[in-house]
Amino acid sequence: MSLFLQALLVAIFVTIAFIDSHTTQTHIFRPIVVGPVVGLIMGNVEIGFTVGIMVEMMFLAVIFVGTANPPDPTISTAIATGIAILGGGGTETAVATALAVSVIGQMATTFQNSIINVFFMHRVEAAVEKLDRRGIVLNNTILPMAFNAVLYGLPTFLAIYLGANYVQGIIDAIPDQIITGLSVGGNMIGAVGFALLLSSIKARKFWPFFLLGFICAAYFGMNMVGIALIAVVGVAMYYYFVLANDKN
Amino acid sequence: MSEEIKTAQTAPEQVEEQPHLTKKELWRVFRNQLTIRCANNYERQQNAGFTQAMMPVIEKYYDDPEDKREAYERHMEYFLTNDITSAIPVGVAAAMEERYATQRDVDPESINAIKTALMGPLAGLGDSLLNGTARPILAGLAISFIQAGLGWFGVLFFVIGMSIVSLGVRYFGVFQGYTQGVKLVAKIQSSGLIDKVSDLAAIAAYTIVGGFIPGLVIINIPIEIGSGDSVLNIQQTLDGLVPGLLGVLYTLLMYWLITKKKISAVKLILITMVIGIAGVYVGILG
Repeated sequence: MSLFLQALLVAIFVTIAFIDSHTTQTHIFRPIVVGPVVGLIMGNVEIGFTVGIMVEMMFLAVIFVGTANPPDPTISTAIATGIAILGGGGTETAVATALAVSVIGQMATTFQNSIINVFFMHRVEAAVEKLDRRGIVLNNTILPMAFNAVLYGLPTFLAIYLGANYVQGIIDAIPDQIITGLSVGGNMIGAVGFALLLSSIKARKFWPFFLLGFICAAYFGMNMVGIALIAVVGVAMYYYFVLANDKN
Repeated sequence: MSEEIKTAQTAPEQVEEQPHLTKKELWRVFRNQLTIRCANNYERQQNAGFTQAMMPVIEKYYDDPEDKREAYERHMEYFLTNDITSAIPVGVAAAMEERYATQRDVDPESINAIKTALMGPLAGLGDSLLNGTARPILAGLAISFIQAGLGWFGVLFFVIGMSIVSLGVRYFGVFQGYTQGVKLVAKIQSSGLIDKVSDLAAIAAYTIVGGFIPGLVIINIPIEIGSGDSVLNIQQTLDGLVPGLLGVLYTLLMYWLITKKKISAVKLILITMVIGIAGVYVGILG
């Protein structure tokens, strides 16, 4: 198989893996699967298993809570396996090189969540206005999933076909400030979403509970399960002390 | 296939038999729920996916275009929880939409309030049980199978195991969330609490949103004033006073601009992104 075809197949697999991680989550996007599959495409399954296990172990305990941009295990495994099989320079070096360039996956995710999908979500909103069911599916599912080929498939293809240095060149060419700016802006636009949500629940007299949740999370660093229990306490107090009195 | 989910058995005195969602229709909800995070975005996270998941329900129960639009718009509000456990609020919301459309005796605002109340606990539980427990365990087992020379069997074991977890929780969420949701609304109705439910749900929703903001709306000012020993780090000073203050103030500012000044969300998003990028460029945000 020519290198072009191999790189193309790996890129297609990575794209499918990302679609899986955004939909069915059968977890074919994990290193333990990506390594062997890419090994099969590139003609050396053994190296695929070795790299897959190595990267899986690195990411084993990484828990992604909320929206924090996770490091990208899928792209790094695919590129590491490719480099290891093509270069033959040992799996450790290949993984180290691949982890460095898989940063592009994080950049792509930031870009996807703060720009591309915000755009598509507003197109879904426009489709809702027109009661256009096709428009909802097209802009919520089909187009965002097609973009995975550009955001994750393309960099993988380039790294395997033209080499990791080429992708490193792309990363270096993107000004740091743009990526940081996007993630800073991305961290701020949630405020608009929350504001819209708060304005849709018209119960302003309950603002102390908003403050209560905020205080628990901000001052005590309480996790969401803890906050949920606080909410239960709030609901129970209102039920027993206010509603029960009303009934009597 | 068109057998209806029997939920009214326990409440024989119920007013009238509602046309409940059929199994086939619930499977349709299940399939659409799979797209919950396709258009995941930092403005409102999984809202578009939630809307698509509700499509079969809204299309079934609403005939009037205006009602339909209102229902769709309801689900376009902010929603964020674990991708897999989000199936539970999807099921519950389906039951509530059904009730509202057919009986008109629940407050539609309480639908979003209950969704919001559920997103907090399910995010915490989902992330830690699935990503913190199931996945590391199955991956660890798969690795040991592969190291024992079983090769592809280990890979297959992992994928099948994770599929069962991922799709199983979603199946449970949609079907049980719906069935229990239907029962719950009927029970609330008979207890006479129906007009208080939106209050109770709002209390929970407000607490959850307040708790979400410090982790999800983050504004950081990396400026230091002075030099040497007397350096004053603005962010540390603010955090020492009220941690997460800027995020919550910015949210309240957005709330004020949307409700009082009637500025559109799209404008605010663009302005916010420009502030973010420009702020990083001149060095006041980071």
